[in-house]
Amino acid sequence: MQFNRREFMKGAGAGVAGLALSQLGLDLEPVKAYAGSLKIDGAKDIVTVCPFCSVSCNIIASVKDGRLVSTEGDPDYPINQGALCAKGASMLSMTRSNHRVAHPLYRAPGSAQWEEKSWEWMFERISRRVKETRDKDFIPKNAKGQTVNRLESMFFIGTSHADNEECAAIVQMSRGLGLVHIDHQART
Amino acid sequence: MTNHWIDIKNADAVLIMGSNAAEHHPISFKWVLKAKDNGATVIHVDPKFSRTSARSDIHVPLRSGTDIAFLGGMIKYILDNGKYFREYVAEYTNAAHIVNRDFDFKDGLFSGFDAKGRRYDTKSWTFEMDGAGIPKRDKTLKDPRCVFQLMKKHYSRYTLENVSAVTGVSRENLLKVYEAYGATGVPDKAGTMMYALGWTQHTVGVQNIRAAAIIQLLLGNIGIPGGGINALRGEPNVQGSTDHALLYHILPGYHGVPLADWPTLADYNKANTPVTKDPASANWWQNRPKYVTSLLKGWYGEKAAKENDFCYGLLPKAEKGVDYSYMFLFDRMYQGKIRGGFIFGLNPMNSLANTVKSRASMDRLDWVVVSDLHHTETTDHWRRPDIIPADNKTEYFFLPSAHRIEKEGTVSNSGRWLIWHHKAIEPAGEARTFGYMVVGMMKALREKYRKEGGALPEALLFQDWPETFVAEDWTKRINGFFLADTTFGGKAYKKGQLVPTFGALAADGSTSSLNWLYTNSFTEEDGNKSKRRDPKQTPMQEKIGLYPNWAWAWPVNRRIIYNRASVDPAGKSWNPQKALISWQDGKWVGDVPDGPWPPMASSGGKNPFIMQPQGFGQIFGPGRLDGPFPEHYEPVETPLTAHPFSRQLSSPVYKSVSSDLDPLAKPGDPAYPIVLTTYSLTEHWCGGGETRNVPALLEAEPGLYVEMSHELAKEKGIKNGDEVIVENVRGKVKAVAMVTVRIRPFTVQGKTVHLVGMPFCFGWSTPKSRGAANRLTPSVADPNTTIFELKACQVNLRKSDKTGGTA
Amino acid sequence: MSKVVFVDTSRCTACRGCQVACKEWHELPANDTRQTGSHQNPPDLNPYNYKVVRFSEHLDGDTVRWYFFPDQCRHCEEPPCKMEADEHVKGAVVRDGKTGAVIFTPKSKKLSAAAFEKVRKFCPYNVPRRNPDTGAMVKCSMCNERVVRGMPPACVKVCPTGTMNFGERTDMLALAKKRLQELKAKHPKARLVDPDSVNVIYLLIDEPARYYEYAAVPEGGPLGRQQFLAWLFSPLKKSVDTVARG
Repeated sequence: MQFNRREFMKGAGAGVAGLALSQLGLDLEPVKAYAGSLKIDGAKDIVTVCPFCSVSCNIIASVKDGRLVSTEGDPDYPINQGALCAKGASMLSMTRSNHRVAHPLYRAPGSAQWEEKSWEWMFERISRRVKETRDKDFIPKNAKGQTVNRLESMFFIGTSHADNEECAAIVQMSRGLGLVHIDHQART
Repeated sequence: MTNHWIDIKNADAVLIMGSNAAEHHPISFKWVLKAKDNGATVIHVDPKFSRTSARSDIHVPLRSGTDIAFLGGMIKYILDNGKYFREYVAEYTNAAHIVNRDFDFKDGLFSGFDAKGRRYDTKSWTFEMDGAGIPKRDKTLKDPRCVFQLMKKHYSRYTLENVSAVTGVSRENLLKVYEAYGATGVPDKAGTMMYALGWTQHTVGVQNIRAAAIIQLLLGNIGIPGGGINALRGEPNVQGSTDHALLYHILPGYHGVPLADWPTLADYNKANTPVTKDPASANWWQNRPKYVTSLLKGWYGEKAAKENDFCYGLLPKAEKGVDYSYMFLFDRMYQGKIRGGFIFGLNPMNSLANTVKSRASMDRLDWVVVSDLHHTETTDHWRRPDIIPADNKTEYFFLPSAHRIEKEGTVSNSGRWLIWHHKAIEPAGEARTFGYMVVGMMKALREKYRKEGGALPEALLFQDWPETFVAEDWTKRINGFFLADTTFGGKAYKKGQLVPTFGALAADGSTSSLNWLYTNSFTEEDGNKSKRRDPKQTPMQEKIGLYPNWAWAWPVNRRIIYNRASVDPAGKSWNPQKALISWQDGKWVGDVPDGPWPPMASSGGKNPFIMQPQGFGQIFGPGRLDGPFPEHYEPVETPLTAHPFSRQLSSPVYKSVSSDLDPLAKPGDPAYPIVLTTYSLTEHWCGGGETRNVPALLEAEPGLYVEMSHELAKEKGIKNGDEVIVENVRGKVKAVAMVTVRIRPFTVQGKTVHLVGMPFCFGWSTPKSRGAANRLTPSVADPNTTIFELKACQVNLRKSDKTGGTA
Repeated sequence: MSKVVFVDTSRCTACRGCQVACKEWHELPANDTRQTGSHQNPPDLNPYNYKVVRFSEHLDGDTVRWYFFPDQCRHCEEPPCKMEADEHVKGAVVRDGKTGAVIFTPKSKKLSAAAFEKVRKFCPYNVPRRNPDTGAMVKCSMCNERVVRGMPPACVKVCPTGTMNFGERTDMLALAKKRLQELKAKHPKARLVDPDSVNVIYLLIDEPARYYEYAAVPEGGPLGRQQFLAWLFSPLKKSVDTVARG
């Protein structure tokens, strides 16, 4: 969803009129010199949701040429009304963090380093390990002879970071594999 | 939350307990302060004085782990002083129900206790039925066997003396809170309770919340604006991830996991579908078979048919009584019984209890797939400081995940609002969404099963999976489809069209839905309602801050659940100034009511608590494993050896695991006399794996500290800023001393008890931030939820002598 | 007339949204901080933090008080930093007469180290800092580039609790006086800090010194150039250094 600048400015505090540069009176010099252009000028505004606590504050991401230039609270959203806390306010530097992992990584048993791999390689190798484990340890019947079709030696834990759609896919996969060891942050 | 974030502003009293809302849900304070501006009393009951306390009218420090004593005292105060809302209690709760004659409570134990098995047989925790099979009631509340009288007897021991002696709260402070909060037990006042992990992370976690629920029912505070039991919830989409059941014990939509004892869908439905003989009870869960069949149709599509039991047989069946949660998973891992698995967006090597053990356990995996934004204590476990990588034989796959701002989809906030977030930018580098990973892995795996066969390939191959992950397609799958041409509500729907509401879901295989709670969120008529941004309100809705056209809330856009309890039996609001629903001219106006039926007193009316089989609020709660009334028990590790409520020191049924890495300090152990409580803080999130990688946040909170009183610091010769070692039977951690007036010594049973607090968000993967506080916490848990007791254990501390091994 | 930031500390929860939002808007790098036994981090204003939330705690009898003070430039009506800087490099400090924002300009790079020290010491609130990399003086600019477009400063926009408020001077003064009136009953020591001489007006519920050494000009009251100089060099002051910490 996109917003125009006028809507964005609705976040202005009481009594602030939407002044244009030309309306400014005397002492224009410093304004011209030190309030020239804004980094969000010409940016596209996109609504996202803060990724931390479950108040789920809405955030407007300003994007220019595919690059995030600024984030601020969404003034229209009735819960946070433009406000954010320290975590919510840090979205820009969060996405620019140089600690982000940008490639699939593989670490062989006993190795002292990560190696970059392609997604295809990862899916191929992971599915091989999953299949080996599942085929070996699958329990069709329990000690009482009841059909149980479960796999106890494999687990899936996580995550409340996933969207609802992703959660639905994760649980479908987990139960399809026969997993019973399933858990995530809801239990902490 | 029964209510929602904005609704906090409608409260006349706000009790924040088991939560540090201003620090962990900072935006909630926008609404807490609005309530305060309107005259509400804001009360914070918590071991330490925090940023929440600073903005509250009253802060009461209590010793961690004594909430039930504190709340039990409030129940007694409300009963003794007639502060309860009599009509609400008699009409809408089970206070009037007559309890089974065999039910009893003696010296800390309820009837049916099996000491050897450490469990209860709950068959006496039931109600007496009349000839028609309807619970017997005495609405005068005088029958000595009615819930009300049994409750009165139970809490008669919770005197100010006893409560004060155990909690460390002065009598004056107890009364101050009881009076302020008890004042909301009148029709035109509302009190809200805000809680979080401070209540859940105890061996009596569920009973902490039960005690709160009893108070809220006594005061008539459930179902009304400004009231409710409000779990603030910790994580970004934890409401949604719980609804969608990333949990061992349930399937999406709160259906119990299938057990080995239920081989067919009919067996499952019989065991899980409650019945009532009371025509006034809606007994909503009678609809469960419709929701479960629709879920199976969602998972197995065309392959699920009546003839094959809708593929129910392919689902894994758990063993009755076996717990598959974290605590037992890591214990089995430690025993070498677990080969591999997936850890997505989670940092258990830092955030779970007893990380000394969980770390040793993870070393024993053959392979693990981890997915995260950054390197964390979990993703890089194989190269943690105290091991040599060559010794770690686990194969690691690290799938870099996309940030929320880099993908689209829905999340559910604590107030159950379903909110769409748009993709703003492309993921960093080759990072991808969790959905991309799951679909990619399943595609590769299914291909192998198709070609090679293997163990029960149908369980995977019969499932309905798309070629690629498109979020909004799954939003639709969650809502559900008609699978045959159907007429519903006088309207014709074609096969493949979206189901308009869960009332249309069927048990015959003609509908699908991956979660019935979310049916109605995406419809043919209104599209994807999570994208709605319309602030339109009626004047009635505006008065209480209800936004029915902004986003969507489960169930069926109901903003406050159990809202039928906000009106009297004739359908008139208890508080017309803040009416939530109202019966006008033969229909309900305001919020979406809890069911379409007319008011309770009219013909065809229903009891308000529609999710309970009999429709009443549960003051007597027979569904828990540790008793129908909350009872004070000490934490498993406690500075005490006895307490005045009974001879049962700790919960008789708490869960635990045992191994060489699970030692526990004995009660009152003089070697570990100090109570430790753990928590997080505004600037970091949970295990900290994410926020420690955000420079501005790490700048504000760069490393581990231990907060302690001036008195304790003086006793130990510690100055503010000193490095100290905090240790106990399980491990030790180095931290910087934060000596503060915000933690005060407690006087418990006439003796001084010190308490210290540490955040659990720091870990070795962030240089200089020091180690994990969870090296100290024990693997003991609540019997109902298996949530760890992270909020209270015993430690000692000393000035650092440069001893290592505290990562 | 000037714009005013009204800081109602009685509502502050120290969530530090303002501290971080300021860094994010101005894209300031993080300092390498350490935990030293305090939540106040970074410990002080610095070239990369134009805004710092200060924490101070007190025990009065049995009552715990924890005060939060989101510190920043006060944007004085007659800024002493400008008076002093003008003596050295004209235009190093300018004041936007329309908004009241006091701005350090790139010309401040030309200030000698000694001149910068003088400018810094003339600030009664201990605000000016110098970026070691560029040599420019830095501090809060009231987000003037936002303000002239009708947007509130980043720290005001982000605030959840109504601590940070922004608007026309008359409106903000009215709001400040209303809040003061409401708080006086419960907090008799409540006050507005130097409301006539600054455009960032703090409402405190206790003595300024209980928040932070430089929360207020000790004598309070409006400070024109003459009064300021008189105050600065009054015999009661031991030296300039005690006024603005070295």
